[in-house]
Amino acid sequence: MGFNPQGLARRPANIASGEDVKKPNRPGMRLIQFLAFSVVLLLLGVACSQGDRSTWNPAGPVAEKQLLLFNVLVWIMAVTFVGVEGVLIYAAIKFRARPGQGRPKQIHGNLPLEIAWTVIPTILIMGLGIWSVVVLWELNEPPGYADGVDNVLEVTATGHQWWFEFEYADAGGGKTITTANELRVPVDTPVRVLLESDDVIHSLWIPRLAGKVDMIPTHTNRLWFQADSNMIETLPATFLGQCAEFCGLSHALMKFEVTVMEQDDYDAWVEAYGQPPEFSAKAKEGQKVFNANCTSCHTSTGPDAPALVDGRVAGFLAGGAIAPAPNLTDLATRQKIAAGLLDLNEDNLQSWLRNPNGIKPGNYMSAKAPFYKDGEITLSDDQISNVIEYLISLK
Amino acid sequence: MATISGVLARPSSYNGVWSWITTVDHKRIGILYGFTAFAMLLIAGLEAGVMRSQLAVADNDLIGPGVFNQMFTMHATAMVFNVIMPLSASFFNLIVPLAIGARDVAFPRLNALSYWLFLFGTLLLHAGFLQNQAPDAGWFSYASLTEKPYSSNAGMDFWALGLLVLGTSSVAAALNFTVTIINMRAPGMSLMRMPVFIWMTLITSILLILAFPVITVGLIELTMDRNFGTNFFMPSGGGDPLLWQHLFWVFGHPEVYILILPPMGVVSEVLPAFSRKPLFGYPFVVFSGLVIGIMSWAVWSHHMFTTGLGPVANSVFTITTMLIAVPTGVKIFNWIGTMWGGAIEFKTSMLFAVGFIALFIIGGLSGVSHAVAPADNQQQDTYYIVAHIHYVLFGGSIFGIFAGIYYWGPKFTGRLLGEGLGKLNFWLMFIGMNITFFPMHFVGMNGMPRRVYTYTADSGFEIFNMISSLGYIILFFSFAVFIINFLRSFKHGAEAGHDPWDAPGLEWSISSPPPAYNFAKIPQVLGRDHYWIVKEQAREAGQEPPPAEAHVDERTIHMPSPSYWPIVIAFGVTWIAGGILTYYALSVVGGLIAFVGVLGWGNEPASAQSDH
Repeated sequence: MGFNPQGLARRPANIASGEDVKKPNRPGMRLIQFLAFSVVLLLLGVACSQGDRSTWNPAGPVAEKQLLLFNVLVWIMAVTFVGVEGVLIYAAIKFRARPGQGRPKQIHGNLPLEIAWTVIPTILIMGLGIWSVVVLWELNEPPGYADGVDNVLEVTATGHQWWFEFEYADAGGGKTITTANELRVPVDTPVRVLLESDDVIHSLWIPRLAGKVDMIPTHTNRLWFQADSNMIETLPATFLGQCAEFCGLSHALMKFEVTVMEQDDYDAWVEAYGQPPEFSAKAKEGQKVFNANCTSCHTSTGPDAPALVDGRVAGFLAGGAIAPAPNLTDLATRQKIAAGLLDLNEDNLQSWLRNPNGIKPGNYMSAKAPFYKDGEITLSDDQISNVIEYLISLK
Repeated sequence: MATISGVLARPSSYNGVWSWITTVDHKRIGILYGFTAFAMLLIAGLEAGVMRSQLAVADNDLIGPGVFNQMFTMHATAMVFNVIMPLSASFFNLIVPLAIGARDVAFPRLNALSYWLFLFGTLLLHAGFLQNQAPDAGWFSYASLTEKPYSSNAGMDFWALGLLVLGTSSVAAALNFTVTIINMRAPGMSLMRMPVFIWMTLITSILLILAFPVITVGLIELTMDRNFGTNFFMPSGGGDPLLWQHLFWVFGHPEVYILILPPMGVVSEVLPAFSRKPLFGYPFVVFSGLVIGIMSWAVWSHHMFTTGLGPVANSVFTITTMLIAVPTGVKIFNWIGTMWGGAIEFKTSMLFAVGFIALFIIGGLSGVSHAVAPADNQQQDTYYIVAHIHYVLFGGSIFGIFAGIYYWGPKFTGRLLGEGLGKLNFWLMFIGMNITFFPMHFVGMNGMPRRVYTYTADSGFEIFNMISSLGYIILFFSFAVFIINFLRSFKHGAEAGHDPWDAPGLEWSISSPPPAYNFAKIPQVLGRDHYWIVKEQAREAGQEPPPAEAHVDERTIHMPSPSYWPIVIAFGVTWIAGGILTYYALSVVGGLIAFVGVLGWGNEPASAQSDH
């Protein structure tokens, strides 16, 4: 075989000279290694955000358990990464061809080694798999739910292009509530969300509370979460939620908020929902405008009747000037409008009404409502300001 | 019939444009595939650039959601169907006959038909851009967003019909390579002596044959829903949108391996050549490929962990998905084992192969993390997944393909690519790739969903996106360097000679570029790494390594004659699809053209008059 004695002779010499050169630099190398390591750790620390929509910052048992699973995986990945990449880099440096080196020893394999690196990863990964499955079943339903423990708040969430609807069949004391884009829940209570859609597939995701589950037409999916008071600094607390499944033009703008409240505050909101508000004279004018122009799609006087909703969906599919639209009964109690895009205030309501397409491209209000012509609103300034007055009285 | 067969004699020219249009030579078809796919790589890469520009800063209004949605849809669709698959097909065409000691593929005209269907299907898929109706529902095109009420323009029709045409191309090519590999190996090349690249081609071809019918069913149902009022996926008509996802991913997950197995095969050729050592654990590498191919059918629902399949299904698919990491890991260990104890020469090709391993490890590990269903609930549809698929398909497939281009390119151009520019190409791509895609792991877990055209400044996503966008610029330059290197090599590249790498494969025993007939005499294969054995025997006998085979008079070897009919049939088939988009009458015309093409194909003389 093309064995080359020169190559062999050269090898020890190389190593020796390498040692000689390296020695004086060693403390410097150590420092550099230490600094590099610190920088990596620092970057990782900064990169794992503790922000308002970060999965690294859980605020309840579901997201916490999912993060725990992920963190364990990250450590396993990190160890494997360092090990395998380390061996790869070592091999790449150590076994570089040396000048004049001939063909190295021709090895075709090593059966015990092959069996070892097939069997050991299989065992490790099955262990991890079994633990994953255990957690999966643990998170399937709220604790005790299957045994009939009834401490759970149940909400039906429906995805629409591009907003979220929330229906409480029993928000407390048997009261039915329909609201939009803001999900209010009491703290320390398991919330079971039934997920539906009547147009395209959406996905409901509240990164700090629970991983996402899709909202699929003709299916009723579910997820549950709970906001823990010992993981939240102050109440009421707001958590960002968003659509995670691509659902068309304004998918990026389909958000909502979860407001976690003390039980008393939550009960007060439930109590107040649907009580006829106090209207000023101006608001009453606005109500007339609203009733004349908006009510085929928007309800503002309590929960949506199921037949009404079905009619809106059917009308939309038939191409009519109608579409499912957010229930506005408790609009003035919300923090945001336009599905989490803008703070609720008169200015923003004004800009939304005047040019909804500029804020949420492709939305069905400017496409369907008869009072928009080529995207321009045809209501007078007075009508607009009156209707805004009406809207901000809805609490 | 007789009249048709008498009308057109087979073309006999081997020069000029017509010779390329009528060619049935696997090498020329491979070159056509390669250039077309590379052009698509540049287009799809520029689409990525548009997205990275839009996302570089928060609240950007450079482009609106409409264009952005078209960009990510077409970027991914093109990268999968018009770039990585045809680049692999290019390698199949260029390498398979040479590496198994054959003169061409089993069905040379079918091979040409595959290429023309691929070209026309690609054009049809992209034709929507001309009318500003490009597909915009994502490369996965989940129902019911793809149905008429929610996607009213013709974009989804271009998408479905374009992919149907591309699917016929893929299945035809896959059948061709399966038959070629099973039947046309040179004597002595038993299955367990086949190069791993040939094994991976065979497994990929079988996966293609089995997977494409599934997506074809889905695409036809979608086309019928949109154009003929059926309700396969339309909820209001009683259809089930989730059915689409099952069809799509039963195809889609084997498709992932269709994209990665060929580059794994390339790497399995390159590593031994430059380590100057046979592949470590050849049977394990082959069988792990087979196991991956089989298991790829049992993991599709891990794309659907968030669709509410229930805890039983999620448990099963968690386990199967985790298990598929084992054969993948075995491959990686064997590649490192190949390098171990070798005498590694870091030519550019080898750098890309080692880069492939380094990056694929990252993609493989993050893959395990979304095999775990409860953890995946947080990862699904975020940038974490975007990071993963780019480590697998860019760090994996594209790096593997570049290893192949630097390795086998000189066989066909006769010129070596520049090593200096090659190394620059590699390092820019390696660094650029990591800067672009590594931060996406973090921004995804920090809560950034994928397929969003904008994000707000208070999200904390901006710094990561800015880094990713800067990384894109580095990637842009790496591709520019490659193009310069490639073009430059034609004029300034060193003569490759027939065996520039002292490589083990059969293909290196013939001249570069090879003659039309490949092998003047079909070789008797002595073992795995046949050419190494031949050279070693010569050395032991004290002789010079054997020279490239002498060219012989082409007329003494009968090769298949060129044919007009493949392009005619491909044109007709594409118009069947195009007619559904315009006037149904055109579908009939297309059908007639294809029918005439089939008649002509069946009746044309066996060889051109000038041939014997």
